Amino acid sequence: MSSVTTDHSVEDARLRAGIDRSLRHPVMFFLTSGAAWLAVSIVLGVISSAKVHSPGFLDSCSWLTYGRTQAAHVNALVYGWGFQAAFGVIVWMISRLSRQECKAAGIILTAGHVWNLGVTFGVLGILFGDGTGMPWMEFPAYTWPVLLLSYFAIVIWSFIQFKVRPEGHVYISQWYLMAAMIWFPWVFLTANILLHVMPGNPVMAAGINAWYKSSLIFLFFTPVAIGTAFYLTPKVTGRPIHSYSLAKLGFWSLAIIMPWAGMQKLTGAPIPYFIPYLGATATVLFFIPAFTAAVNILRTAISDVDLVNYSPTLRFTMAGVVGLIVTAVAAVFLNLPNSTLKLTQFSMSGYGFEILALYAFFSFVMFGAIYFIVPRITQREWLSRRLIIMHFFFSVYGIVTVALVAIFGGLQQGIGQEDFTQPWEVAATRAYPYAVAITTSWCLILFSNVFFFLHLTVMWMRLGRRSTHPTLLTSGHGNSPHGEEGDIDTLGSSTASAH
Amino acid sequence: MSAPTPHPNQKPDLEESINVSQVHGRVISEYSATAREKRLASNGHEPVALWVIAACGFVLLIAGGVLGNAGTLFSYEETFREGYVRGAAPGLGDAGPLPKAALAAFSGKGAKIYSKCSGCHGSDAKGDGANYPSLVGSKWVLGDTQKFAMVILNGLQGPTSNGKSYGAGIMPAQGAGMTAEDLAGVMTYIRNNFGNTSGDIVSTEMAQNAIDISGKREKAGQAVNAEEIAAKHMTMLPGAEIDPAMMVNPQTLAPMQ
Repeated sequence: MSSVTTDHSVEDARLRAGIDRSLRHPVMFFLTSGAAWLAVSIVLGVISSAKVHSPGFLDSCSWLTYGRTQAAHVNALVYGWGFQAAFGVIVWMISRLSRQECKAAGIILTAGHVWNLGVTFGVLGILFGDGTGMPWMEFPAYTWPVLLLSYFAIVIWSFIQFKVRPEGHVYISQWYLMAAMIWFPWVFLTANILLHVMPGNPVMAAGINAWYKSSLIFLFFTPVAIGTAFYLTPKVTGRPIHSYSLAKLGFWSLAIIMPWAGMQKLTGAPIPYFIPYLGATATVLFFIPAFTAAVNILRTAISDVDLVNYSPTLRFTMAGVVGLIVTAVAAVFLNLPNSTLKLTQFSMSGYGFEILALYAFFSFVMFGAIYFIVPRITQREWLSRRLIIMHFFFSVYGIVTVALVAIFGGLQQGIGQEDFTQPWEVAATRAYPYAVAITTSWCLILFSNVFFFLHLTVMWMRLGRRSTHPTLLTSGHGNSPHGEEGDIDTLGSSTASAH
Repeated sequence: MSAPTPHPNQKPDLEESINVSQVHGRVISEYSATAREKRLASNGHEPVALWVIAACGFVLLIAGGVLGNAGTLFSYEETFREGYVRGAAPGLGDAGPLPKAALAAFSGKGAKIYSKCSGCHGSDAKGDGANYPSLVGSKWVLGDTQKFAMVILNGLQGPTSNGKSYGAGIMPAQGAGMTAEDLAGVMTYIRNNFGNTSGDIVSTEMAQNAIDISGKREKAGQAVNAEEIAAKHMTMLPGAEIDPAMMVNPQTLAPMQ
């Protein structure tokens, strides 16, 4: 009979495979439908961005006006892609970390469909002119209870799994994910009740809205992505996290600082004078939780640069972590009173910051997680190294352009708007070349994501490679693009794929 | 999507009867991704690097500077910064306030001064009918400007334009410290508001002349009365007329381009 260690590792692999198998339907649903919404959102983003520099583009139908496509673009990105990717990753990772199969896959899948239905009605509602006009909350008011209920039906099982986890150490990723799962309903309920159920002073409502937007970024998307990166990096490299105390510092500073952020959007508005500056201070301080977490993750991975280069998971995750650092620096740079803060109020730079946080940081880490999770769930390897490389480079170049151009173009626009003796058209003219650049780079991102979505769909249909070797991003004449082909599965009923 | 590959023994428990090499084979074939996975190692305990602390400290300093703009924290009463003045538009330097149409500019200045009058004549300028007379439709307020200027500058003793004496008996003089711009503003304001529609402007030049005339009165320093007004002041103030649409500086009331 085999040795104890072998039994142990076999048992381990079997347990992991069992967990993956129990979750394959809901997780694949979240990831695929999220990727589909991402593509929809980018199409809408291209349309709305094109209207900034070419107002005559598609101007014949009311449901394609800027006010509706821009809102639909952002909301599809946040609720269609962002949340669904997060759900897929949360559900899978909490199961893995608490080492239990999921017993409620059917309910999660159903709730996921309900969430999708809510998002669909929300986006259509916006396009039909039923939007509320509150940034990131444009979905018609009847959708939020649906989203909230399906949210609880999706994550409640992860809470239960955490509760009944085997005794012992709670891993860093679990802190972040559990915190995000608790913070989101708090933020979502607060904002929706104060804005839809008990509306008060409209100026304060705009403040609450700005706080909601900032809190979704800093208290949901950020902890989910940081937690995911803290899981993927040691998992792929096999190395321990660089510093436990740095991780604690990062987590608690995030928890303590970030709820204060957001209302700097209302600098100069007639709300109590200290509130916007308190918000600006907290946003500047986002640097501390972001930078400590990023340094921690990068230090864990950086000792094996080749691995970061070869592994799709690690490459996307590290790009996302670099995106986190850029987001943190932008948070400092955009909130300096007397210089940049006043220029960000009514310009594109706010949008640039949100895209930086949502795509350059959060989405890249989610892509990394998807490249890790999907082969395990489908028991197939990714089909094509080139598709992954294309997805990576078009996304990187595209998103760097969108975010940086929107931030700096927004500052230019803000300077134009500050000149109150000039008509507003002058400010719009200043932003014109930047808007053209944004449209172009959204097209690049669209290109990369259509291929990503197709690749993912093929994997979902279990048409991936059957191999014991992962798809690595190596090239060169010496070796096959997919690693050595020695162990291609010829057991069982499968056909060997020599792709 | 297709169903996962079924295999006969879903939950092998590695009893003696299980062929381990067969199980291993299945692990390799079906769970290869999970089998090659590495375990999460226990956390590292590297100390926090000094440069990370320094970078965070630098940002803390910046954040402190941002917070310094916040004024008194948690003061929910203040909604704006004390003494805030909007900066000049870029490239314009200190060009001062934007020009306004004369009627609006004079009335705007007068509205601030009228706050002194509203104590007696009321915020609607209708007085109270018993102690203080109404300024709305008054023959001394409208029509020739000199009599109105004299009443404001010197006060009024006895009956008013409608022959009625009011409970207060006397209106105190308002001329002390009043500049020509103030007088021009408040006269233009009253003559064009509260239902009065004279449509003309009492210019700064006219107001200055009124102050001069007032200083040269025989009984200078005493309130005017109905007889003196009827005898000496039933005339327009001397001075050039101003087009109500002319653009003027709202603070100095001087013409701008």
